[in-house]
Amino acid sequence: MLYETGIVTDDLLESVLPSPGRRARGPYAIIECFQEIPCNPCTISCPFGAILPMGDINDLPELVPDLCTGCGICAGVCPGLAIFIVDESIGDGRAAISIPYEFVPLPAKGDTVSAVDRAGNHVTDATVTRVSGVKKKGTPLVTLSVPLDLVHQIRFFQQDKQLAVSQPLMTSEKEREDKQSLSEATLICRCEGITIGDVRKLVEEGYTTVDEIKRISRAGMGPCQARTCGPLIADLIARITGVPVEDVEPSAHRPPVKPLPISFFMEEESDVLT
Amino acid sequence: MFYEPDIAVIGGGPAGLMAAVTAAETGATILLLERDGHLGGQLVKQTHKFFGSEKQHASVRGIEIADILSEKLAGLSDRAQVWTGATAIGLYEDGVLTIEHQGRYKKVKPKKIIAATGASEKYLSFPNNDLPGIYGAGAVQTMMNVHGVKPGKRVLMIGAGNIGLIVSYQLLQAGVEVAAIAEGLPTIGGYMVHASKIRRAGVPILTSHTIVRADGTDAVESAVIAKVDPFWNVIAGTEQTIPCDVICIAVGLSPLAELLWQAGCDMLYVKELGGHVPVRNEYLETTVPGLYIAGDLTGIEEASAAMVEGHLAGLEAAASLGFMTESHQEERQDCLEQLRQLRAGPVGEKIRQGVKLTLNQESSREVNHAV
Repeated sequence: MLYETGIVTDDLLESVLPSPGRRARGPYAIIECFQEIPCNPCTISCPFGAILPMGDINDLPELVPDLCTGCGICAGVCPGLAIFIVDESIGDGRAAISIPYEFVPLPAKGDTVSAVDRAGNHVTDATVTRVSGVKKKGTPLVTLSVPLDLVHQIRFFQQDKQLAVSQPLMTSEKEREDKQSLSEATLICRCEGITIGDVRKLVEEGYTTVDEIKRISRAGMGPCQARTCGPLIADLIARITGVPVEDVEPSAHRPPVKPLPISFFMEEESDVLT
Repeated sequence: MFYEPDIAVIGGGPAGLMAAVTAAETGATILLLERDGHLGGQLVKQTHKFFGSEKQHASVRGIEIADILSEKLAGLSDRAQVWTGATAIGLYEDGVLTIEHQGRYKKVKPKKIIAATGASEKYLSFPNNDLPGIYGAGAVQTMMNVHGVKPGKRVLMIGAGNIGLIVSYQLLQAGVEVAAIAEGLPTIGGYMVHASKIRRAGVPILTSHTIVRADGTDAVESAVIAKVDPFWNVIAGTEQTIPCDVICIAVGLSPLAELLWQAGCDMLYVKELGGHVPVRNEYLETTVPGLYIAGDLTGIEEASAAMVEGHLAGLEAAASLGFMTESHQEERQDCLEQLRQLRAGPVGEKIRQGVKLTLNQESSREVNHAV
């Protein structure tokens, strides 16, 4: 699910939550990093050794909750903004969550914001209790006071409540146009105005390399010199002829790499000894 | 006759900058060519913090890495010359490199060349794909992060690889609404931490969805997307219209290899690496002796790996001319080890497979440079 939606699932969250005893004792870091990527700043940043050194830079970070003080240094360092500081020990049915925040303006202490979940949906209104790290190199951390039972649903906030409400973005519509003709009129070489239909016709006539298409149609001879359309034309030839794309002969590359006027070459400075 | 720097580095992005700095530090004279008016390549558009380890500037924002590397190179200006606004337009079999430098035609004949030309964006052919408002993700980043211009009000992003995810996030940061991210594959291709970050900001990620067409009179007014089956066939009846004024295409990159074709390098089509890439040995020398490669040109990968490749190519090109530090062996081994580590995990599997295919077995035997 994570890989389809980008949303951390409950079982993944469960796997990195400290024990209930530790959670009740004071602030702790929660590292929502569930994909092995080459990255290790968090392990180096922790002054308490609470994030174990990695054997391999692709390892997942491992927190030792009993060594973690919830200081937030790792959260300000994490390039993925995947570390949050949670404090469930403050009482009165409240909890605090500190969220790395890279937007301007930063909210101010005392502001009311819309606390949202991992999908951006409004969960509750929350009060900003602290904004830290503004002058330091790390990512600023914004601390929200939220109901204890909601703290692990909340992972972000919106200052503009209008935006926080998830809006129905799309309306459904049936395709009406004649798909085939629309697609044939699609531009494939923008510089020279060559369409998919033009290229298809040429391939069907027997021109089956990118160079042949270029010579007969001028596709790829404009300012971009086939940088954009070359791969698209090769793909199209492959699809029409059934030849694997790696076997479609690419066009020849000759100097200059971009169109230049002849006059340019007449003002040559061949012995520049700067 | 010709200007003959020890090494010409083509491209001032993460790979080229690292290559130039490394080679200049050994004592070699360098000519760095950058097409843009400033150094940094794509780094200058990367406002997010980098992954990787400290050696590749992890947790530092890309734009700051560009500054760090550019400053290092500026400190070596007695040996390293930088031409900005300089496009390498031809590389000939006799080793002559022709350049358009601020409108002038120039020819140089470097002893060695490191090509770090990067990549170009892939595009999609769909009906009305020429309507104003349809951009590549790179263009959107350039508009926002280099020129400070919002591309529009409401964006439909096509592609949930790292670029699609990161650019969506940057759009949100700029105050632009992102209607949805459509991804043709059944799963998200980019890092899950990026995906989660965008998802909790309220942007739906629709996997197994493709763009069917764009609609609008003078500019994009909406787009039709639909579900696809595992063979990319549109499933009838799943079409939905998304009102938007920008469609941003982030469907991958192709290595920018024209100069290598021109020079006569053996080339290979490797799907895992994004297209045609030069055959090379482990130390990044192509089948044309003295011509090295680094960065996305070797295969599409993260900038962290590009920097390590630049480092390695810089070391090797310099060493082949006799510019060698005492720690050459260790440094080169360290680069290979960093690359191994960056590619060791599940997300590096495709790269590992692809790189294996491109290695020229013949020349991959231990290369030892004469001092």
